[in-house]
Amino acid sequence: MRFFREELHTLSGVYVLDALDGAERDRFTRHLHRCQPCANEVRGLRETATRLAMAVAMSPPAHLRERVLAAAASTRQLPPDTEQLRARRFLRSRRFPSSITAREGRFPRLAAGLAAAAAAVAIVLGVTQAVTQRELGHARAQAQAVEAVLSAPDARLLTRATSDGGRATVVVSQSRHALVLTTSGLPSLPAAKVYEVWFLAPGRTQRAGLLPSPTAGRTAPLVAHGLAAGDRIGVTVEPAGGTSRPTTTPILVMSLPT
Amino acid sequence: MSTGDLRAPGPGPRPRQRQDEDLDGLVRHVARGDESAFEAVYDQLSRPVYGLIRKVLRDPAQSEEVTQEVLLEVWRTASRFDPAKGSAMAWVMTIAHRRAIDRVRSVNAQALRERKAGSVLAGSAEEVAEAVETRLDAERVRRCLDSLTELQRESIGLAYYGGYTYQQVAGVLDAALGTIKTRIRDGLIRLRDCMGVSW
Repeated sequence: MRFFREELHTLSGVYVLDALDGAERDRFTRHLHRCQPCANEVRGLRETATRLAMAVAMSPPAHLRERVLAAAASTRQLPPDTEQLRARRFLRSRRFPSSITAREGRFPRLAAGLAAAAAAVAIVLGVTQAVTQRELGHARAQAQAVEAVLSAPDARLLTRATSDGGRATVVVSQSRHALVLTTSGLPSLPAAKVYEVWFLAPGRTQRAGLLPSPTAGRTAPLVAHGLAAGDRIGVTVEPAGGTSRPTTTPILVMSLPT
Repeated sequence: MSTGDLRAPGPGPRPRQRQDEDLDGLVRHVARGDESAFEAVYDQLSRPVYGLIRKVLRDPAQSEEVTQEVLLEVWRTASRFDPAKGSAMAWVMTIAHRRAIDRVRSVNAQALRERKAGSVLAGSAEEVAEAVETRLDAERVRRCLDSLTELQRESIGLAYYGGYTYQQVAGVLDAALGTIKTRIRDGLIRLRDCMGVSW
């Protein structure tokens, strides 16, 4: 699996140069949705390729100008993609990192990681941005709960690979007895299944919530309350609606700092 | 990012030259149906778009057609341009390159490409160097290209200017697929760092 993912990652260059065809291209395009570092790299390489393009600039025949302008005047434009616009507006309205950077003096090492996590969470929220007002309100409340954990003075950021090729990012605060979990690249499940999150301790297993279904390969942040010192976090695949105790082998078990 | 380096290209003074930030703004105006903004966009983009397409396709008549398609696509889909994903110039040049590649890989263009393959292969490295000499930032781009290995430079040239798939690049350079993949990526990363692209 590890080899497979690294292999995929090296396709960024040929992807940017459009030297990738068919199924391989589709596979990498899907991969981009769940691999933020890859998306960033592609953006930078695309700007680089743009300079190569500009290096071969050449004037087209003069008559082309009139033809293109006339064709434009008689061509209907696409309306904006309203969902995309709303997501952008919502992102602008959020300010996750501010409360964190204000505390930078107190735990400088963490600040950068947390700001990154906050940005990642903001992106997830933006991507999974709600379509209706009601959902938008819910997303905001969710964002506040997320922010409460992120801004805790003892907040710690951890990230782990899951056994099925995804990645889980956790921001945990023992003082708030809570954590925020986001994931990327988890295989999508049939409608009858769900990812369930657990707090695990010797002799005690406690439900911590269900992961929302992913959008573009990512799940929106899950805020789980009721964390006790020494708990580990686990994720299993369960029947839709969840169960009272895990019934399958966890795809993730992760110790948390105390 | 250093927008100053992404200016509309061209030797000599160009009174209509604007910085890339302006292009981003112009595209937003175009999204509102502003035809005069589209004229300004045409003046900024027609040379890089036509130049790239011509480089890939070679054939002047086809290049003109595809250039028109690309610029109309910019007009039509301006509302979908998302500045968070990159500069307007990169957005347009991505469309332009894809359209050129689509044409290259279509059945009709096959014969044409076969005919031109030899010259692409023979000239790619020199052509790049020659072309950049006409550029305002020629020195830096050339120095950056010079810093690549020959295999990196050739692979990038064949893929980007030649419109080859990486399998075809591997074929003509007689190298393993994995080698070409990583050389292209490493080469682009080196160019990116050398050119100071900060995205």
